[in-house]
Amino acid sequence: MLLTDSDSPVLAEAVKLLDGWHLERRAESSVAEAVDTLPEVHAVVLTDGNPGVLRSVIDVAQRRGVAVIMGCADDAGRRRAAELRISEWFFLPGTAEEIAGRVRSALTRTEISGTAVADRVGRVEYEQMLYDYLTGLPTLPVMIERSRALIKERGELIVLYFNFVRYSKIEEIYGWEKLDAVLETTALAVREFLHDSSLNTSRVMVSFANDDDFVFFHVPAPGVAAASDAQITELVGRLQVFVGSKIEEAHGEDIAALFDIYVGRSHVYYNPKIRFERLIYRGIREAANSAKSIEERERGRRVSDLRSSLRDRGVYIDYHPIVVTDTREIFGYEALARGVMRSLRSPEVMFEVAAEADLIWELSRLCRSRAIEGMRSRLRGDELLFLNVDPHDFADPDFNVIESSEPHRVVIEITERTAIKDYPKFREHLKRFREVGYRFAVDDAGSGYAGLGSIANLEPDFIKLDMSLINCIDTNFIKQNLVETMVRFANDMGAKVIAEGVERAEEYATVQSLGVHLVQGFYLHRPSHGGEAPAAGVERFGAAN
Amino acid sequence: MTEAGRPTILVVDDNHDNAEIIRQYLEAHGYPISVAYDGDEALTQFELVRPSLVLLDVMMPGRDGWEVCRIMKQHPLLGQTVRIVMVTALDEWSDKRQALQTGADDYVEKPVDLPKLVKTVERNVAMLRPQP
Repeated sequence: MLLTDSDSPVLAEAVKLLDGWHLERRAESSVAEAVDTLPEVHAVVLTDGNPGVLRSVIDVAQRRGVAVIMGCADDAGRRRAAELRISEWFFLPGTAEEIAGRVRSALTRTEISGTAVADRVGRVEYEQMLYDYLTGLPTLPVMIERSRALIKERGELIVLYFNFVRYSKIEEIYGWEKLDAVLETTALAVREFLHDSSLNTSRVMVSFANDDDFVFFHVPAPGVAAASDAQITELVGRLQVFVGSKIEEAHGEDIAALFDIYVGRSHVYYNPKIRFERLIYRGIREAANSAKSIEERERGRRVSDLRSSLRDRGVYIDYHPIVVTDTREIFGYEALARGVMRSLRSPEVMFEVAAEADLIWELSRLCRSRAIEGMRSRLRGDELLFLNVDPHDFADPDFNVIESSEPHRVVIEITERTAIKDYPKFREHLKRFREVGYRFAVDDAGSGYAGLGSIANLEPDFIKLDMSLINCIDTNFIKQNLVETMVRFANDMGAKVIAEGVERAEEYATVQSLGVHLVQGFYLHRPSHGGEAPAAGVERFGAAN
Repeated sequence: MTEAGRPTILVVDDNHDNAEIIRQYLEAHGYPISVAYDGDEALTQFELVRPSLVLLDVMMPGRDGWEVCRIMKQHPLLGQTVRIVMVTALDEWSDKRQALQTGADDYVEKPVDLPKLVKTVERNVAMLRPQP
């Protein structure tokens, strides 16, 4: 039933449009009472603007979940309707269609107003807490409830703690969208692997919401012995290979090379004297600690790998082409240093290990000299070499201006990620190199919140945009706006902008339309060493798009 | 999508006048519109109405637009496809970086220039993935 204080014929027509409704008229003064006493009232249309009457009707209507629609004579009436938080309103006299529409809309709004809103939102948040939104895995509270009875019955469980390292690095380099995608791949791969494994008897997989660690609970099936340590070690080895290959398949080898997983385990025996939750949390902590100690052992091994690599000059260089956006002609190459040893394949990992072992300068020297050695055979006459240099390298007495015999062909890339503490001193260093012909690029530009000021301070010849700005730039207009700003800024300074990490045709087309001068990325070329033709990359990636 | 093929837009603004002006203007351009007046209501409407596009005011009492944006983008069902346009003045580089972190797709400056708003809506509608 629709209740109203108006005698306009339009309302009767509007009610006809509302299937199965009928109209009830009341004098203004008795509307509130009617809303309170007539059980079949679902909506009220008020047309008289007496504030006292309005307020009393709204109070009753809210209590009874009845929708209020107000016909307003003028703008003042409309404002009053808005102030009173009336669900819907229209200008008098209104058409039947409009009024019917407003009634329908007010009804959906009324159904979900007040406490119902809070409940619903509460529920949504609660569900997000119970199930990780990315992986769809249950979180700890759900798991504890689910498995309580089972664990009591079996008397024991094994907790495996999966510590995925360097995921934060992926986010730092490629942006959170990429990390989300990688986490999704990881969770799927882990689930698929465990599903087919010998542990597939009774198990629960848990993820910590919005974090990159997973916990796995293995409750042995009746009559089956719990998995032995040897079984688990073997299993973990295969898991690492499996997940690594899935990540490489979906996200490429650079990201896969960053990936490492350490699995710790603990054995929990049910004890009725100790609160169940406490047992579980203790088990998780113990497993996490064991994962940590495995990680530390592995680090020690890598440091010795690095020492022997430094001794044997076990670093090779991949050259990644940088092309002129419009012509796709090769402009230069970025030198990417990689460890010959498998454990040090990723440059990020290699430098991370070097930083821990205090071997940064030694490693940087080796990488620089390798890159410059390769110039002669790898680069043609006018092509430039882009060389990554850590700001701290400038303090190395061995890093000096006679590094290359052709300084005008070398561009030194300095990352924006490392904070430069002493700007005047740093600019002195740059000046020394600039005077003999070296040029400079700011790497990962726009990655931080610092803005353009810190870039201007370095007076770069090139600005390399942070990869996270390029990833999916074709569909994100905020990224486009930022890149546009950067191009304008660079043009004013006489610098050139390089878009790094261009992987798709759409991204290429977008950065081209934004005026980005130079492009680097898998869409055009893969990094290569030796005599391999870079065009292979174009075929593999370009043709697919 | 509606029968007419125009995607539904959810307009979120705690200022009723602003919300109403935007609603009428976009309705006149043929878009079905839902309105919410605060963050909580926006999240509820989001689930009920399942809009393809959300115009989200940043400065709201209670949950602000950034928080609402983050929650919407993390929605297990709708988060992947919805496009979110923030309504705010993003002057600084850092403001825009923050907008990217919350998952926003675009922004329009406040006070809203209506013809510009329609252009912004149109370019985001063009990016919507085809519905199954």
